[in-house]
Amino acid sequence: MNWLAATFASSIGKKLLMAITGFFFCFFLAVHLAGNLTLYGGSDSFNSYAAHLHSLGKLLVVAEWGMVLFALIHIITGLTLFYQNFQARPQRYQINKSAGGRTLGSATMPYTGVLVLAFVIFHLLNFHFVDKSQTTIYDIVSAAFASPLYVILYVIAMVVVAVHVSHGFWSAFQTVGANHPKYMPTIRTLSILFALLVGLGFGLLPIFISISA
Amino acid sequence: MLLDGKVPTGPIAEKWDRHRFELKLVNPANKRKYDIIVVGTGLAGGSAAATLAELGYNVKAFCFQDSPRRAHSIAAQGGINAAKNYPNDGDSIWRLFYDTVKGGDFRAREANVYRLAQVSNHIIDHCVAQGIPFARDYGGLLANRSFGGAQVSRTFYARGQTGQQLLLGCYSSLMRQVGAGKVTLLPRREMLDLVIVKGHAKGILVRNLITGELERHGADAVVLATGGYGNVFFLSTNAMGSNVTAAYRAYLKGALFANPCFTQIHPTCIPVHGTYQSKLTLMSESLRNDGRVWVPQKAGDKRPPYQIPENERDYFLERKYPSFGNLVPRDVASRNAKQQCDAGKGVGATGLAVYLDFADAIKRDGRAVIERKYGNLFEMYEKITGEDPYVTPMMIYPAVHYTMGGLWVDYNLMSNIPGLFVIGEANFSDHGANRLGASALMQGLADGYFILPYTIGGYLAGSAKLNPATSSPEFDACERAVQERVNRLLAIKGKRTVDDFHRQLGSIMWDYCGMSRNNAGLEKARGLIQSLRAEFWQNVTVPGDEKDFNQSLERAGRVADFLEFAELMVIDALERQESCGGHFNEAYQTPENEALRDDEKFCHVAAWEYKGTGKAPELHKEPLTFENVHLTQRSYK
Amino acid sequence: MSKHINLTLKVWRQKNQKEKGHFETIAAPQISTEMSFLEMLDVVNEKMTTEGKEPIAFDHDCREGICGMCGAVVNGRPHGALKGTTLCQLHMRHFNDGDTIAIEPFRAMAFKVIKDLAVDRSAFDQIIQAGGFISVNAGGAQDANNLPVPQERAELAMDAAQCIGCGACVAACPNASAMLFVSAKVSQFALLPQGRPEAARRALAMVRAMDRLGFGNCGNETECEAECPKGISISNIARLNREFFKASFGSSIK
Repeated sequence: MNWLAATFASSIGKKLLMAITGFFFCFFLAVHLAGNLTLYGGSDSFNSYAAHLHSLGKLLVVAEWGMVLFALIHIITGLTLFYQNFQARPQRYQINKSAGGRTLGSATMPYTGVLVLAFVIFHLLNFHFVDKSQTTIYDIVSAAFASPLYVILYVIAMVVVAVHVSHGFWSAFQTVGANHPKYMPTIRTLSILFALLVGLGFGLLPIFISISA
Repeated sequence: MLLDGKVPTGPIAEKWDRHRFELKLVNPANKRKYDIIVVGTGLAGGSAAATLAELGYNVKAFCFQDSPRRAHSIAAQGGINAAKNYPNDGDSIWRLFYDTVKGGDFRAREANVYRLAQVSNHIIDHCVAQGIPFARDYGGLLANRSFGGAQVSRTFYARGQTGQQLLLGCYSSLMRQVGAGKVTLLPRREMLDLVIVKGHAKGILVRNLITGELERHGADAVVLATGGYGNVFFLSTNAMGSNVTAAYRAYLKGALFANPCFTQIHPTCIPVHGTYQSKLTLMSESLRNDGRVWVPQKAGDKRPPYQIPENERDYFLERKYPSFGNLVPRDVASRNAKQQCDAGKGVGATGLAVYLDFADAIKRDGRAVIERKYGNLFEMYEKITGEDPYVTPMMIYPAVHYTMGGLWVDYNLMSNIPGLFVIGEANFSDHGANRLGASALMQGLADGYFILPYTIGGYLAGSAKLNPATSSPEFDACERAVQERVNRLLAIKGKRTVDDFHRQLGSIMWDYCGMSRNNAGLEKARGLIQSLRAEFWQNVTVPGDEKDFNQSLERAGRVADFLEFAELMVIDALERQESCGGHFNEAYQTPENEALRDDEKFCHVAAWEYKGTGKAPELHKEPLTFENVHLTQRSYK
Repeated sequence: MSKHINLTLKVWRQKNQKEKGHFETIAAPQISTEMSFLEMLDVVNEKMTTEGKEPIAFDHDCREGICGMCGAVVNGRPHGALKGTTLCQLHMRHFNDGDTIAIEPFRAMAFKVIKDLAVDRSAFDQIIQAGGFISVNAGGAQDANNLPVPQERAELAMDAAQCIGCGACVAACPNASAMLFVSAKVSQFALLPQGRPEAARRALAMVRAMDRLGFGNCGNETECEAECPKGISISNIARLNREFFKASFGSSIK
């Protein structure tokens, strides 16, 4: 095998792929959240943000395809890891207790990951692959969140994302080797804060919109 | 018959160098034609197997554990001695040599001990190169501490886990050779017999402990590094699996067993607390650097320690040995603790314990300092006893720890059977009648890294190449005998378990052949052992199958050998009508109750030859001459 | 002070690697709280032996927490629930009268059951064979003090070197990963100047051996660190990752 392929096929190499793509998605979440904050400004501010984004043209297309690629890497590698890890213990324990290392986030990574994937597809179908020639994006969003079912679904999804991120964020640091006795406690705290930020930041939006509508 | 230790002539400081020159060499290209069996993978066996493979020999390494890294050398806590004189406090090869000969109560072979002191420095160099994380001072240089009664700081250490680090160092060297294909690793194998062809040791018979199959292995030489026989006492600081079987089987095949009665009782162990107890745990004797040993002055004083005022305590070691105080050698400290307990001053529920008190040290240095020095030991004590030694004084009592006796070897570490080499605790050579602290690790590694690899070449180059097929009649006969013994053990189907017999044997040995001995007790013990052995072969029950992972069968074989070997210990103790080091016969003591040697009659190694079942073994003597150290009464006043 | 408790054991019994195992319920009456866990098993085994039953097979040797040979999963926790303790050092005073105790072997693809609670951990030896050493032959070393090692580094190396190779990290890991074990050895040598010349080769070879032997992948769940009887830190895993990346992308070794 080629040395690069061998590196990424190894257990640590796969983790590196997860960490790098994971970092990227954390960055994406932050940017996405910053953009979405314009929703609090109402219809005009959000629509102008959308228009500004679309004015990027080809750049946006590249970013979108890049994201698809990263998503594929993250998903395929994640599923491979899940399968291999399952194989690594063919006979399970009858009684399984944690020594306190696992968190809700770490214990549910593969499951929250799959849920997030399902949500992302749903989300894209809702707001991305829709005909925007007759209406503005703000109208689409506010129409969607007029339904309490959508609000509940989105809030739950954001909780799932937050749980996923709560482990993913610090875990990516650990995987790339950024563990230092002086900084690691801060990184772990940041991980929780970032998860809260993502959860609350995104999660409150549907509620805000459904109320303000 | 007088034995010849084959000590080279010339001044003691030149003997080893000259001998290395005089030894015949095996041509580097020829080394790969020789197979060597190494049994045991502790410090001695592991280092020997790795080094022999580095030289180019084909090595087969055997151990009964699941991995070579489990060998009980791993449990050594305190440290390893070397005559580096890094602290500039007056140490030298000569001083280490002198201390070791004196510490051994003048019952070791001078030339061997001098060589040990010489190579001690190379061991440290090699271990550091292997990546062993020894303790260092702030400047990055190696740290030393004083240990076990030495008046210089010559002990190198890695926290309280020196043995672990040294063993993992030689384990890693061994694994490197396994990876390189020069060592074949055969774990979970127990050696059950030695195969002798035309008078030379040429193979072993082992039982595969997983499948129960008997396996034959042939070689050009056999190295036994199978440790000591402390478990003859049932309770000891040895690992549960430590046993005498390999050494005893070699004895039955004609190898001489030297000084079996020399056993070391370590003073600082956690006391026995119940009949179900399976082993004793050692607390490093480094604790005696800061802990003060005491008992109540009044016999039968059952008050808790904090209620006993200072003036009603007897710090007996400090009182009797003002210059060494709590740091007297192990045998002296142990015997004194026993004397206090025999006088009814023992403490704790059983009355078989003395206090080791850190209150003064904590007051003087602060808890933080004591915690840094002994934190892991205090934690271990608390785990086992449930008491906090920072608050309540520790309770300690002596326990069997090390056996100085072992198979007789000459200066080349070869037994009287050509081709059978014995190294580490399994041989008898370097510690005399008492081993000093931090010297066992030194001896194991000296034998394995720096002595055996030279001397085995001398044997191989000097004798005709003869590595018989394992289908030879000698192997056939051996396997038949071993198979028959296994069948016998399984067929008894009696009422008592193996451990039950072992426990009873242990208590006989502890009572009559332990810390202090007398002729009447030894005679009695001999009878008790004989009748217990007879009962064992009538009434033991060994469940399970032969061709299986059968731990009861493993233990049964070991205990059967202990039951025979115990009698040899008693015979040796009876023969040695003097007291020296770890062998204390009550009839021979100074007015101050110290061991009284008889250099006229007993300045020799007693090596026993097996003469057949039911026959008395024959005694051979190797006279010990001391040309460089004067025979004196040991005094630690 | 010593007292006696009555326990019920649910022990995994498995004749050999091939046959299926099952739980057997065994009474353990009148157990002194001063006993260690393995002494409790001894007592149970003695009773079973005299009753003509086959005793429970379990690995053990030093019984002072350093050889790494013992270990079983007790009530879902490798080496039991007490922190920083091997099974042989776990004492019965941590259990209560009437408790039911489930005892299972360490379970992983790479650790096959030999019998009952005894498992085959030779995979660990194979990982060390791949590179867990410094290539130095006996005899050629320079004076030990010619190579100063900063005290902090030596202490960090010692922290990692304390690993006893018991396999509790693998047993505790939800993914049966051996990363803590591998990282402890890689770290010990990576931190010391003696280990640097071979650092790249070592990291690559040991990780590849680990992958080949069927251990799972590290998910940074940190159960290993929480369960390790010697308190080995996951900062070693981060160091292993760094060493692996340096070796993969920065060295010329393929």
